[in-house]
Amino acid sequence: MSDLHVVFEVAGASYALAVECVRQMDSFSGATRVPGAMAHVEGIVSVRGRVVPVIDLRTLFGHECVPPTLDTRIVVVERGARVVALRVDRAREVMKLDPEQMQAAPDAAALPARGFVRAVWLVGARLLQVIDLPKVLGEDENSHENYRHGFFDDGARDRRALPG
Amino acid sequence: MSEGADLTEFVAAYLVETEEHLGVANSQLLAIEASLRKGESNPRALRETFRALHTIKGLSSMVGVEPVVEIAHRMETFLRDFDREGSPLPTRAVDVLLRGVRAIGQRIASLGSGTAVAPPPQELITEFDTLGAPLPQDQKPLLDLDLEPELLAKLAPFELAQLRTASEKACRALRVDFLPSPARAAEGFTINSVRERLAGLGEVVKALPLAVPVSTEAPGGLAFALLLVSDAADDVIAQAVGIAPNAVKSLLARSLAVGVDPSERALPPELVEDERPGPRQAVVRVDVRRLDDAMERLSALIVTRFRLARAIAELGADGADTRAIQQVMSDSARELRDLRAAIVAVRMVPVAELLERIPLLVRGLCRHTERAVKLELEAGNAELDKAVSERLFPVIVHLVRNAVDHAIESPDERVRRGKPREGLLRVSCSSRSNTRLELSISDDGRGIDREAVARKAGRPTPASDQALLDLLCIPGLSTRSTVTTTSGRGMGMEIVKRIVIDDLGGELELVSTFGVGTRFLLRVPLTISIVDAFSFECEGQRFVVPVSTVEEIVEIDAALVSYSPMPRGDQPRVGIIARRGKAIPLLMLSELFQLGPPRSVTAKAIVVRRAGQPLAFGVDRMLGQQEVVIRPIDDALIRSPGVTGATDLGDGKPTLVLDLSQIGAAYAALEVAAAE
Amino acid sequence: MSSILVVDDSKVMRDMVVACLRGIPGVEFAHASSGLEAIERLSLAKFELMVLDLNMPDIGGLEVLEFVRGQDLLSKLPILVVTTRGDEASRAHVLAAGASGFLAKPFTPDAIIAEVEALLLRGTGPAS
Repeated sequence: MSDLHVVFEVAGASYALAVECVRQMDSFSGATRVPGAMAHVEGIVSVRGRVVPVIDLRTLFGHECVPPTLDTRIVVVERGARVVALRVDRAREVMKLDPEQMQAAPDAAALPARGFVRAVWLVGARLLQVIDLPKVLGEDENSHENYRHGFFDDGARDRRALPG
Repeated sequence: MSEGADLTEFVAAYLVETEEHLGVANSQLLAIEASLRKGESNPRALRETFRALHTIKGLSSMVGVEPVVEIAHRMETFLRDFDREGSPLPTRAVDVLLRGVRAIGQRIASLGSGTAVAPPPQELITEFDTLGAPLPQDQKPLLDLDLEPELLAKLAPFELAQLRTASEKACRALRVDFLPSPARAAEGFTINSVRERLAGLGEVVKALPLAVPVSTEAPGGLAFALLLVSDAADDVIAQAVGIAPNAVKSLLARSLAVGVDPSERALPPELVEDERPGPRQAVVRVDVRRLDDAMERLSALIVTRFRLARAIAELGADGADTRAIQQVMSDSARELRDLRAAIVAVRMVPVAELLERIPLLVRGLCRHTERAVKLELEAGNAELDKAVSERLFPVIVHLVRNAVDHAIESPDERVRRGKPREGLLRVSCSSRSNTRLELSISDDGRGIDREAVARKAGRPTPASDQALLDLLCIPGLSTRSTVTTTSGRGMGMEIVKRIVIDDLGGELELVSTFGVGTRFLLRVPLTISIVDAFSFECEGQRFVVPVSTVEEIVEIDAALVSYSPMPRGDQPRVGIIARRGKAIPLLMLSELFQLGPPRSVTAKAIVVRRAGQPLAFGVDRMLGQQEVVIRPIDDALIRSPGVTGATDLGDGKPTLVLDLSQIGAAYAALEVAAAE
Repeated sequence: MSSILVVDDSKVMRDMVVACLRGIPGVEFAHASSGLEAIERLSLAKFELMVLDLNMPDIGGLEVLEFVRGQDLLSKLPILVVTTRGDEASRAHVLAAGASGFLAKPFTPDAIIAEVEALLLRGTGPAS
């Protein structure tokens, strides 16, 4: 694993993701909404012909959803057979980060973040948070809230938990 | 008496089989041309061409395609004279014959597409009269073969020559006798299987029936004498025929004296085993539409299973013990998956078949452009969905055409640059995974001049091959006249991109080194599914729905919709409309999907059937009807009942493909829940 | 039950022949896709009739005819030759080689049914 990381911003905070997981970065002008998807799943986009979901990290991390701007990017990540796009506010840098300087996220910060942040880096005056990709991609059953758009259920969830 | 024997039902099979024969005629004619270039005649290829044309003629007469009968007849009579004399064709004849094959192909294609079949091209037909007649060949008696005179008399001069000159090709001329019997047939030895196995070991020059005394080994009083030219060892040949090695006889005692030691030349038996094609399997030809139909029925079955699962879950929720039934359900899920895979497998065609037409294309291009090109094809055993294969073919044609037209330099220029006179064009493929095929088209031509492309596009010079590819795919950038001389890549790159990436959901890669060569790499899914679909709009979002699931599309008069009482205001409303005197429920798609605020007006409704009952979905407006390629939505984050996939309507953005009756089912389930 | 051997290297053509003849009561069909296969099948099973194409790989229909007529057991088998060469000379040539009947392509279902029914009734070898 190299030390190169893609650095991106979500709601004013900076996050880092190892370049090995990143397939490409693209500008973002909107996704096709999928009814019944969870709230933080903004919809689908076509990435080199493949239909992939877009996770809005603002919504997932508990911030208010905003319309895309010229700076908005999708960071397309690859994990095993899955390809998922992460919508971020901006993504401009690739930084070399020294693994020696990585610190575990302090509990007080980690708990509210529901485990999405695995560790932090202090680079000069900047604080970079290292996101836990499997959690963000929903591979951990409990990481996503049981909230979905609309009235659908997919058979796996308790119907009665739905709004309405 | 003749009822049910309407021969027009054979048209589909006719189209398939004649295409095969046309393929044979093309490749045999190319083989003849290759032989002529070496100063040799190729009587066997000539006979095969003749036979293919004769079969086409017979079939066409049965189906009543007179123009094809006439063209095939003229070509056939021309070839027959040369076949009889065993004399080589005039060089120019190959070209005229190839044009004849093309003329037949065009007319058969017209028949297939239901358009008028053009009359025979008289100019072409009379051109055969100008090609000259065969020269009589000297036929020296060849009495040095160790064969009975009655068998010898049955061999054509070229067959005799082939046997006699086997040693020039480091082969031996051999004879094996095969005695057919029910017992041998049970072990898999029939004349067809034996001949095919031998064809894998060399060339079967002639097979002849012989009457022999009736015995246990020959219960039918029949033997076949198989005369072949092969470099395989006796025991390998004997194994193929199921006889003892010492029953393999040499036809020319002298061939051993020339110094070919068969035991040294032959491959070890286990290697031969691997390369030998197995006995030919029975092949059934099926219209793709029938397979699509089967697949659609399977989809219906999957939806039913989904409903069954829901019903069982409800039973379970009411306290019933559903464990046993759950087990059955999971078995049925697995079986449905297997069945789906089986249907998909039926749709696969060998990639080798797709590439079959490339040599002819390259040959034609070379003649026009005066290029010398060596073509290497490597298709291996890869297979591809017929629908993908049909879409991919124009892409391959584009890339091959560009390589020959623009990339590969003229022979003189190549020599000046220190390259071999003949350019190399390689088309190869491999299945990299269970889901994708990788196809590579590479040449050793002049490569792409990035700066020239950038100048034409008025953009900065691309820094990477990927950026160069993006530039080349800008629509309208590369017209033939501007790019031919500068970049070597001309027309149609945007079409290539549209098909590979947008239509097929594949990937396209380019590696080009200026002066050295270019390689295009295509990765495409092995299968796609295509449906005829309606597109429509709801609150500005577009959707498509397969035509086959729609019962009808009706106008809605807003004044005539009444809404059932809704005690809880947050539920989607259910309207009621009258359709042919019957009240049917109407659901507003925009409300179900929470696309916008509830509205009172909706223009159209799509009527589907759910559990036998009609159900209408209100939409804003219908956009059109077209064939769409459905791409799977396979990530768990975006799987949703009623959404069966996504497609691209041409704007580069995914559009959802809906199954409205599934959405109706999900809605009904919700109602039940709400009532509890 | 009368067994008919349909010999043609074109599957479509074999299917067409069978489709035409299927309506005749009490017949069943076997296929052969080459001249050699036809000879093999004739030597191993009993057939009441052979419908034979002339244009085939390995050995052609005329060679099959010639061989079959040279075999004692098969000399009486009714053989209907079906060919694209419909002229009188071809007809004479084929009948001389031992065919029992001759039908030029294209043929109608009624034409081949009439030929086959006549041959099955007659049940003899070469046309006299």
